[in-house]
Amino acid sequence: MEKKRLFKILAKADAASIARLAEELKAAHSITMVKEPNKTLTMIKMREPVKESLFYIGEVLVCEAVIELDGTRGMAVTMGDDFEKVLNMAIIDAAYNRSVFERESELLRLEEEQQVAEQKENAMHMKTMVNFNSMDSEVPQQ
Amino acid sequence: MAYVAVSGGKEAIEASIELLRYYRSGCERDLELEVIEEKMSLLVDRIMGEAGFYSKRYAALALKQCEGCVEEAVFLLRAYRSTLTRKYYSQVVDTAGMRVIRRISSAFKDIQGGQILGATYDYTHRLLNVKLEHEDAVALREKVLTQLQMQTPVEVSACPRVSDELKKEGLMDSYPESDEEPFDITENLLEFPAPRSARLQTLARADTGFLSGLAYSALRGYGLVHPTVGELRTGYVEICVAYPFDDTQSIFLGELLLTEAETFTEADDKDKLKLTDGYGAVFGRNENKAIAMAIADRELEHKGPYPTQNEEFVLMHGDSLEMNGFISHLKLPHYVTFQSKLDAVRKTRGGNA
Repeated sequence: MEKKRLFKILAKADAASIARLAEELKAAHSITMVKEPNKTLTMIKMREPVKESLFYIGEVLVCEAVIELDGTRGMAVTMGDDFEKVLNMAIIDAAYNRSVFERESELLRLEEEQQVAEQKENAMHMKTMVNFNSMDSEVPQQ
Repeated sequence: MAYVAVSGGKEAIEASIELLRYYRSGCERDLELEVIEEKMSLLVDRIMGEAGFYSKRYAALALKQCEGCVEEAVFLLRAYRSTLTRKYYSQVVDTAGMRVIRRISSAFKDIQGGQILGATYDYTHRLLNVKLEHEDAVALREKVLTQLQMQTPVEVSACPRVSDELKKEGLMDSYPESDEEPFDITENLLEFPAPRSARLQTLARADTGFLSGLAYSALRGYGLVHPTVGELRTGYVEICVAYPFDDTQSIFLGELLLTEAETFTEADDKDKLKLTDGYGAVFGRNENKAIAMAIADRELEHKGPYPTQNEEFVLMHGDSLEMNGFISHLKLPHYVTFQSKLDAVRKTRGGNA
C-alpha cells in the first residue's frame, strides 16, 4: 500500500482502532523507541491561482515518532498532539516496512467506513446545490 | 513619548493576576475545550488564522485562558508556537482538489460543478432565538447524526475553478507555475516592495476586522470600488509531507479547513479588454476575511493613491499581535515624557497669562 493511502487511513481512524492493531504488533515483535513522540510544526505551502506562485498560509501543529520493529524503522507524523496514536501509527508503518503487517483487511475496512462517512456528509452538502433563476431578462437563463 | 522603567508594585501585580482568576472563574461550570472547539468553531477559526497556527484544540485552550479575548488568544498561540521546532514543510497544497463544503459565484449563475450554498447564515433571519437558551444538546446532536446516517452516499468530486474557464477563453491572463521558494515573514523582516508570497502570508494572518475595514474603504470609493466575487469556496484540503525514508512517497498529515476567494475586476491593460483577479485564502470558515483579503490583494497589485493601495500601510498595520502590542504599550508608565509635555503646556499658558 502506498504510504499516502496508509497514513490517510491511519490519520482518519479513531485512536482506539489504531491502538488495537498496534497492540497485536507489540505482542509479536520487539519495539524500540528511536524518537519519542514530540510536537513540532509543519509550514503549509500553497499555490495561488492568480500568478500561480507559492506562499505560506500558516503552520499546523503536528506530532511525530520514530520506532524500530525487529530492527526495521517506521515513523509517523500526524496533525494534533495525540502521542499515543502517532506512536501506534509508527509501529504499523514499521510493520509494513518489514512486510509483517497482516491486518491490511482491517485497514481497508476502516477506509471503506471513512469513505462512506465522508460521502454521507457530502450528500448533505450537495442538497444545498442551488439553481438561481435570474429575474433580470438580460441574464441568460442557461 | 516614551515609556520608562519603574520598580515596585510586585504585590499589586501578583494580586492583579490572582484577580484574573476571579474574573475567569465566572461561575461553577467548567468550559470544556471540546465545547469551544465544536460550538464556537468560527471564533476558533478566526483565532487560528490570525495566529497563523492551525490547532483547534490549542485555540480553544487559549480562548478559555483569556476569557475569550481575541487578541490575547492570538498572542498566546503565537507565543506557544514560538516554543516549537518546525521540522516539516508541506508539499504544495492543491486547493483545486478541495473537498468542497460551500462554493458560490456572484459572477456566473451557472458554474461547472454547481453553486453549493453549504452552511451559511446569509439567508437566516437575524432574530435572536430565545429557544436556544435552554437547548437539549444531546437530543440535538443525536438528531443531526441520525439525519447524517440516513443520507445516501454521494461521491466527492473536485470542482474546477471559475477563473480557469476565463483563462481558457483568454479573458484573464494565465501564468506558468512558479516554484520559487516563498518568502517567510515569520523568519525574515518584511521589506518593500514585498514579494507576492510575503503579501499573501501577511494578509492571511491579518486581523479580520482590520482587513474588513480596509476592504470596505475600497468598496466605498477609496479604491477600485466594486469587484465581483468570482468564486468563494470553503472545504478540506489534504496536507502531506515527504516520507523521510523514501521521498518518492508522502505522508498524509490530515485535512485542513480553508476558505478561498477570487474577486474579479477589470485588468489594467489600456483597452480594458481583460479581467484580472485578487486572491484570498484563510484558515477555517472565515469568508468575509477571505473576500477582504482578495480585495486587498487586487488593490495592492493595482497600486494608487489610496491607503488600500499602499503596500506599507496595508502590510504593516494589520497584524493582531503587533497592533495590539503597540496600543497596549500606551498603558505602560510614560511619567517622564508626559511630565515634560505638561511642563511645556504650563509654560505656554504661563507665558500667555
